[in-house]
Amino acid sequence: MTPDITPLVPFDKDGALQEAAERVERTTRATLFRRGGMLAAAGLAAGSLPAALARAQGPSKGDIAILNFALTLEFLEAAFYKDALSGGAVKGQYRTFAEVAGEHEQAHVDALKKTLGGEATAKPSFDFGGATADQATFAQTAKTVEDLGVEAYQGAAVDIKSAEVLTAAISIHPVEARHAAWIASIIGMGSGSPSPAPAAFNPAKDMAAVLAAVQGTGFITMGQAESGSAVQGQPQMTG
Amino acid sequence: MQEPALHEVATLEEVDRDGAVREAAEAVRGDTRAAFFRKGGVLAGVGLGLAALPAGFALAQGTPKSDVKILNYALTLEFLEAAFYQEALENGKLDGVTRTFAQVTGAHENAHVEALQAALGSAATKAPTFDFKGTTNSEGTFLRTAQTLEDTGVSAYQGQAPEIKTPEVLASAGAILAVEARHAAWVRDIIGAGQSPTPAPAAFNKAMTMKEVLDAVGQTGFIQS
Repeated sequence: MTPDITPLVPFDKDGALQEAAERVERTTRATLFRRGGMLAAAGLAAGSLPAALARAQGPSKGDIAILNFALTLEFLEAAFYKDALSGGAVKGQYRTFAEVAGEHEQAHVDALKKTLGGEATAKPSFDFGGATADQATFAQTAKTVEDLGVEAYQGAAVDIKSAEVLTAAISIHPVEARHAAWIASIIGMGSGSPSPAPAAFNPAKDMAAVLAAVQGTGFITMGQAESGSAVQGQPQMTG
Repeated sequence: MQEPALHEVATLEEVDRDGAVREAAEAVRGDTRAAFFRKGGVLAGVGLGLAALPAGFALAQGTPKSDVKILNYALTLEFLEAAFYQEALENGKLDGVTRTFAQVTGAHENAHVEALQAALGSAATKAPTFDFKGTTNSEGTFLRTAQTLEDTGVSAYQGQAPEIKTPEVLASAGAILAVEARHAAWVRDIIGAGQSPTPAPAAFNKAMTMKEVLDAVGQTGFIQS
C-alpha cells in the first residue's frame, strides 16, 4: 500500500510529493516500514540566514515546497527536544546536547517561517510517545532523527533552484550532520561505536522517502492543514 | 589548550617552490586567483568535494571548466587531510578513541581523494608534499589541528557549493560536506566532551570564501610544494 502522505504535506499542491512517495513505495517500502518503530524525521533543510533569504525574491513553487518540507521536519525536531527537556530523564551530556540541538532547530524553524511568510505551513501537533521518557530511547531517537535530517537535506538540495535558498539550506545541512555525529559520539561513550561518521559519503534520501520514514514514527498526530496555513491546496491523490 | 601551529605565515612563493599549488589554485578559479594569492596564502583545508557516486563517476565531456576547477581545489584539500591523518597514525602517538577517529577519518579522506581523482581523470591535479610541523607528535596538537582542518573543510565546501553547475557534482559535494561536518563534530566531542569546544557551535554553519580558506591554510605552512 502506498503511504498516504497527504496529511503531512498540505503544501504539496500539485501532488508531486505524493507521486514521489508512490515511486519510493514501490522500491523501498519494505525497508522503510517494516519496523514502524521509533523512527523519526528530521531536519532537512533550508534554513536561512534570514538576511540572505529575505532578499530572495519569490522562490519558485518547487523551492517553496522544499522549504515547507524542511519547516515540517524542523517543527518535529524542535518539538522533540522541547519534549525531552521538559521531562527529567535526560541528563548530563545528553541534556547539553538536547539544549544546544533544540535551540538550533528552533532557530531553523524561525528562519524558515520568516522566509516563507504567508506561504509557511502550519505547525503539526506531535506525540512522541515514550521516545523521550528515558535517556537511552531519547538518544537513539535523536540519532535517527538527525541522521534522517542529514539525508533529507542531501536529497532535496540538488532540487533547489534559488541560489539564496541553496546557500541557506547548505548552512543547515552540516549543522544537522554535526548534531548526528555528536549524539552518536555521546552514545558510544568514547568507543567510537556507533560511529559518528559511518561512511565516507553520506547517503541521501529523497523527500518522499523521508516523509514516509516520518510517518512511520507516528510522531505527527496531525492538525497541520487546519490552523491558518496560507497553503490550503490539498494534494491530488493519485494512488 | 593552544591552537596548533597555525601561526607560521609563509608566503606562497616560499612554500610552493615548484608552483604545484599555484597551478592547482589557478585551475580552481582563474578569475580570482590574484585575490587568493596576493597575501601568500597556501592551499589547504579541506573537503569540498566530489564524491564518487556509488559507481564512481567520471566527469562527462562538456562539464563546465569552473566545476573542474572546484574539484581540483577540493582534491588538493583532501590530499592535505589524508596526508595529515596518515602521518598521525604512523607517528603512533594516538590511543583509544582518538586513534579510532584518525583511522576512520583518514580512510574517509583517502576515499574522497580517490573519488575525486577518478572523477577528474587526467585533469586531476598532483598531490603536493606536506610538512605538518610537528602537529602530529602529540595527541593534543593532533586533535586541535584536526578540528581546525575539519571545520575549515566544512566552511570551504559551503562557500563553493552554490557555484557548482553540474548536479552530479553538487550531489557528491553534499555527500562529502556532511561527512566533513561529522568529522568536525566528532573530534570536537573527543576534545571537549560536549562542552568546549561544542560539537555544533551555531545554528547556521559559517561559510568561508576560497580566499579565506587559502589564507588560513597558508598560515599553517603545511603545504611544501
